[in-house]
Amino acid sequence: MSRILAPLALLWGNGRARIGLVMLGGFILMAVLAPWIAPYRPTYGGFAPMQPPSAAHLLGTTQLGQDVLSQLIWGARVSLMVGALAGGLVMLIAVVIGLVAGFLPGWVDDVLSLLINVALVIPGFPLMVVLAAYIPVHGVGVIILVLSITGWAWGARVLRAQMITLRGREYVTAAAFAGEGIVRIVFREILPNMTSLIAASFMGAAMGAILGEAGLEFLGFGNPQVVSWGTMLYWAENSSALLAGQWAWIFAPGLALALVGTAIAFVNFGIDVISNPRLEV
Amino acid sequence: MAKRFVFLVFTLWIAVTLNFLIPRMMPGNPAELMVRRIVGQGPVNPQLVHAVEIMLGLPVGSMAHQYVLYLGNMIHGSFGVSYTYFPYPVMQVIGQALPWTLALLGTTTIVTFVLGTALGAFAAWRRGSWFDTAATVTANFTATFPFFWIALMAIYVLGFLLHWFPINGGYGAGLTPGWNGTFLASALDHSILPALTIVVAGTGGWLFGMRNNMIHVLGEDYVRLAVAKGLGGHVIALDYGARNAILPNITGFAMSLGTLVGGSILVESVFGYPGMGYLLYNAVGDQDYPLMQAIFLLITVGTLLANFLADLAYGVLDPRARRGGESS
Amino acid sequence: MRDLTVAYASRRRHSSVTAVRGVSFDVNAGEFVGLVGESGSGKSTVAYALLRLLSGGGAVGSGQVVFDGEDLLALGPEPLRRRRWRDISVVLQSSMNALNPVLTVRAQFRDTIRAHAAMSSAAIEERIGELLDLVKIDRRFAAAYPHELSGGMKQRVAIALALVLRPRLVVLDEPTTGLDVVVQHAILADLRALQRKHGFAVLIISHDLGTVLMVSDRVLVAYAGRVVEDHPAAGLLEHPHHPYTRALLDCYADPEAEHVRITYIPGLPPDMGRLAPGCAFAPRCPRADERCRREDPLPRDIGDSRVACHHAEDPPVEGETAPGAYRSGASCVEARPRDERPAPPVLTVAGAVKTYRRRHQSVTALAGVTLTLAQGRVTALVGESGSGKSTLARLITGMERPDAGGVHFGDLDVTRLRGRALREYRRHVQMVFQDPFSALNPANSVLYTLMRPLGNHLRLSPREARSQALALLETVGLVPAETFGAKRTSELSGGQAQRVVVARALAAEPEILVADEPVSMLDVSIRAGILKLLDDLRTDRDFTLLYITHDLLSARLLADDVVVLNHGEVVEQGPADEVIAHPRHPYTRLLLSSIPNPRRARAV
Repeated sequence: MSRILAPLALLWGNGRARIGLVMLGGFILMAVLAPWIAPYRPTYGGFAPMQPPSAAHLLGTTQLGQDVLSQLIWGARVSLMVGALAGGLVMLIAVVIGLVAGFLPGWVDDVLSLLINVALVIPGFPLMVVLAAYIPVHGVGVIILVLSITGWAWGARVLRAQMITLRGREYVTAAAFAGEGIVRIVFREILPNMTSLIAASFMGAAMGAILGEAGLEFLGFGNPQVVSWGTMLYWAENSSALLAGQWAWIFAPGLALALVGTAIAFVNFGIDVISNPRLEV
Repeated sequence: MAKRFVFLVFTLWIAVTLNFLIPRMMPGNPAELMVRRIVGQGPVNPQLVHAVEIMLGLPVGSMAHQYVLYLGNMIHGSFGVSYTYFPYPVMQVIGQALPWTLALLGTTTIVTFVLGTALGAFAAWRRGSWFDTAATVTANFTATFPFFWIALMAIYVLGFLLHWFPINGGYGAGLTPGWNGTFLASALDHSILPALTIVVAGTGGWLFGMRNNMIHVLGEDYVRLAVAKGLGGHVIALDYGARNAILPNITGFAMSLGTLVGGSILVESVFGYPGMGYLLYNAVGDQDYPLMQAIFLLITVGTLLANFLADLAYGVLDPRARRGGESS
Repeated sequence: MRDLTVAYASRRRHSSVTAVRGVSFDVNAGEFVGLVGESGSGKSTVAYALLRLLSGGGAVGSGQVVFDGEDLLALGPEPLRRRRWRDISVVLQSSMNALNPVLTVRAQFRDTIRAHAAMSSAAIEERIGELLDLVKIDRRFAAAYPHELSGGMKQRVAIALALVLRPRLVVLDEPTTGLDVVVQHAILADLRALQRKHGFAVLIISHDLGTVLMVSDRVLVAYAGRVVEDHPAAGLLEHPHHPYTRALLDCYADPEAEHVRITYIPGLPPDMGRLAPGCAFAPRCPRADERCRREDPLPRDIGDSRVACHHAEDPPVEGETAPGAYRSGASCVEARPRDERPAPPVLTVAGAVKTYRRRHQSVTALAGVTLTLAQGRVTALVGESGSGKSTLARLITGMERPDAGGVHFGDLDVTRLRGRALREYRRHVQMVFQDPFSALNPANSVLYTLMRPLGNHLRLSPREARSQALALLETVGLVPAETFGAKRTSELSGGQAQRVVVARALAAEPEILVADEPVSMLDVSIRAGILKLLDDLRTDRDFTLLYITHDLLSARLLADDVVVLNHGEVVEQGPADEVIAHPRHPYTRLLLSSIPNPRRARAV
C-alpha cells in the first residue's frame, strides 16, 4: 500500500501538483455525479433554442433547445473516459515497445527504434483524420482506436531510453547472479524504478487523447448524438453560435478542456520535480 | 549526414506506402459512396459505380500491380482527380492552397520556435523571478488550450466584438489573387488572427522544453566554471547555457512540429483560411478521398522535410554529432 | 579564511544542515596547501564558498574570505567578476564535464582572456600555445572540441585554463579523481613542477591523503565540517597530532615492505544534520573521554601546527600505535605469509580473446589471456582501466563469451552456458560489484535482496531463507541483523551497502567469488574494513577469490598470487610478495611508482 501512497503523498507536497490533483478530482467528481448535479437531461430539447445565459439556463441553450450547462456536465464523462482509455492504451503500447526495445539490444532494438522514429516524425493529427475518414462508423470507440494507433511514439522513445539506462545498472546484473529469470528482472527489479516516468507518460498521453478527441469531434468525426465537449463545440460551430451571441456555448467546453489539460500538466510538473529535483523552483 | 538522408528517404517511403494501404485496408468503396451521393437515397446501380471507378482511376488489378502503378503516379506527381472539384486534378486544387499554408505555417513555426526558445531560456536564466513565474504559468495554460478554441475566442473577441480583424477567409471579397498591394495588404490583414492563434497556442511547448533543458544545463560543471572564470552574464547565458540547452529542443522538434501542424489544420478550418488544412477539412466533409490522401501525403512530406532540416541544423550546432556520426 | 560557516537548506525537511562549522586557515603566497577529508567532511563546500560558487541551497552563514586584505564575500557582482580568475582560478573535480562541449578549446581560452584583458588575437593565440606547451599538450588540440580529448588531456587543458591569467591562487578540487593511477601521478608531478616554477599558491582538495602529501607544503585535515589539524607536510608522517590524522595515516602502507598492514577506523562519520555535542570524532576515537563527548575542542597551536583535540599531546593509548610501528589487531588487515602448499586448479582461462566493435573501430579488450585460479587461493588481477580486467571477469562469470579461447570450471565449458545452465553455474561463481549503490536496487529491502539468491540457488523456503539472510547479515558485521534487514538498500551508507553486496554474493555458497574493484568507490577509512571482511571470510568459508583491482596495495594485502594485465595481455604473474617486492616488467614498476603513498610521497 505504501508503494502507492508514498509517491502520492510526495506529489501532494508539491504546490502545483496539489492544485492539479484537486482540479482533476473536481472534474472526475463532476463526471461521476452528472445525473444528480446536472439541472436537466443533456439531450432534452424542449427549451427555447439559442438562448443566451440566463438564470434558468446558466450557459444558455443550443439550437435544438438543450441546456448547455447540463451538456457540459455530462460531456465530462466522455472526455475523461476517452482520456483514461486512450491514454491507457497509448501507454500500454508505449511501455511494451519501449521496454522491449530497451531490454533487447541488437536487431530487435534496431527495428523497434526505427519504428519509433518513423512514428515520431509522421504528423499524428493528419494521419488521425485520414484514418477516421476511412472508417465507416463514427464514434467514441473509433476515436480511441485512432488515438492509440497514432499517439504512442513519444512515450515509447522516453521509456526506451530509461530502460537502457536502468538495464545498465549493476543491480540488474546482480539480479541475474541471484538466479532471477528475465521476467522477474523486468517486472520486479526494473519496472518499480520507472513508475514516475510511466505515470508521466500516461498523463501526457491522456492529455493528448483528450485534446485529440476534441479536435476530431470538432471536425465531425464523432458521433453527433453523443454528448461530449468535442461534439458540443462541433454543433456550436455549425450553428454559428458565436454570431448568434450564444458565446457561452463555445466558451464553456473549450475552457473545460483547457482546465483538464492544465490540471494534468500541473500533476506532471509535480512528477517531473520529484523525479528530477534540479527542476525545483 | 548520409544516415539522415537515408532515414528521410525511408520515412518518405513509409508515408507513401501508408497512404496506399490505408484506403485499401478499410471497408467501403469510395466510388459507391460518390454514386450514392449523386443518386441520393435508393438503389445503387453497380454499372454506374464501375463507370465512376474507371473515370476516377480507382483500384483495378492485383495489389502488387496497383502498388507499382501507384508508385509510378507518385513519382510523376499524379494524384488523380478530385471528386468535389471534378474534373480538376488534385494537384491543381492543392496548388492553389499550398502557398497559403506555406506562408502561414512556415512563418508561425519559426516565430513560435524562436519566441518559445528565447522566453524559455530567459525564464530559466532568471529562475524564480516574477518573469519566470508569469511565463511558466501562462504557458501552462496556453499549451493546454485546444488550438481551435483559441481561434474561436480570437474571432469572437478581436473580430466579432472589436472588429479589429476580418474573421473569415484569406483575403477580401471581390479581390483577385495577384502580386499587387491591395491584395497583399488584404491577405496580410486576414492572416494576422490565424497566425496570432497559432503563436499563442504553440509557443508554450517550446518554452517549457527550453526552460527545462536550460535549468539542467545551468547546473552543469562547465557553467559553474564559466562563472568562476568571471565571464560576463550574457556570455554564460548564451554561449554556455543556451547553446547547449537548445540541442535537445531541436531533437524534440518532431513532436512540437506535429502538434503545430495538427493545430493549424483546425485553425485554418475555423478561419476558413484557404490553405491545406481548410482544404482537408472540406475534403473530409465531402468525402473527397483522392484530395484527402494527397493533402495528407503533402503535409507529411512537408513535416518530414522540416524535420530533416532540423536534423541538419543539429549536426551543425553540436560538434559531437558533426564528426562522430550520431550523438549518443 | 576566517571562521567560515556554511549551511545547506533542505526543502523537504524544512531544515538546514551545517556542512562547514567555523573553518579558519591561511594560504600564503606561493604556498602549496592540501585540504584532505572524506566524503561529508565539508572540504568541497569550503572550496566552493571560497570561490563564491555555492549551489544547491548552500549559503555562507558567517565568516570571511580575505584575499589580499579584502573580504571576497562582501564584494558586489561586478567587482567580484573582475577579480575572478585573475586572483583565484579553479580546476573542477569532474574533468569530464568542466569544458563546454559546443566550444573549441581555443574558444574557451579566448572568452576567458577577453573577459578580463584587451589582447590582440595574435597575442591570445600565442598565449594559448604557450599554455598548452606548459601542460604538455600538442598545440593543434586548440582547435579540438572537448569530446575529442581523453580524460587526462581534458584535465591538462583545465589546468592550462586555470593558469591563463597568471592567478595568485589556484584551487584544485580532486583534480585527478577518476583518472588512471599512472596519469594521476604524472599530472600531479607536473602540477608541482609548474607551481614551483611560476610561484602561484595552490589549495588542493582531495579525499586521498597520499595525493595531498605527495605535493603539498602544508596539510589541512577536515572532519565533519571542521579543520581538525593544520600541519606542515614535512612532519605530519612522523608526528601527527589529531587521533583522526593518525588513524587516516594507518589506512596506508607501502606494498613493497616486508610486513604490510593497514587499519580502518571503526564506525561512521556523523550525520551532519544531527550532530551530538562534543567532539564529532569522539565516537570513533580511542582517546575519547567524558570531556570529549561534552565539549567540542577548539583549535589550538601545538608547535608549528594547529589542532582541535583535547588529547593531542597524550601518549598513544590502547588501540593506537606509534606512527610507522608494526602492529596487529582486530581493526587491521595484514598481508599473510606466502602459502607454499600446492592447490588444485578450479577454473582455467585459456587463450581468451575478446574484441569489441564500437563505431566502425574495434577495440581489443583481451589478446589471448591464460589464467588459472587455484582452489582456496586469492588471485589479484591488477591493471588500469582498459587493461581488460573487467572483461576477463565478465568471461569468467559467463556474462560474455570470448571470441576465441576457453573458460573451464572443472569439466564445465563456461563459454557454452545459456539460460538455465548459466543460472545453475551462478551457484558456483558469484560476483561482488564495484559500486555498491548501483549494485543494490533502491526499491528493495536488504532482506529481500538476500533472500532471493537463497530461494533461487539453494531452494530454501521463505522461512529458512529469512533466518539464513539474517545470519548472513551478522556474518558481514551488520548487527543488529533485524534492523539492517528491514532497511531499504537506499538507506545504507557506502560501506554498509558493500557489506550487503558481499553477503548476497556469499548467499549461494559459491566456490568462486569474483570481486571487481570492491573498495575503489569507498572512503579510505572504510576500505580496510571491507578488505578485512573478505580476508576473514575466505579463511572461514574456503572459497576461491579473484580480486580485481588497480591498487597494488590492496592486492598485496589480500592476494596469494598477482596477475598484472596491460592492454589485454598478462605482463607479469607470480606470488604477490615477490611480484610487488621485485617487479620485473617495466609496467609493474610504473604502476608501483604511481601509487600515492604518503610514506614515500615526500621524495617527489
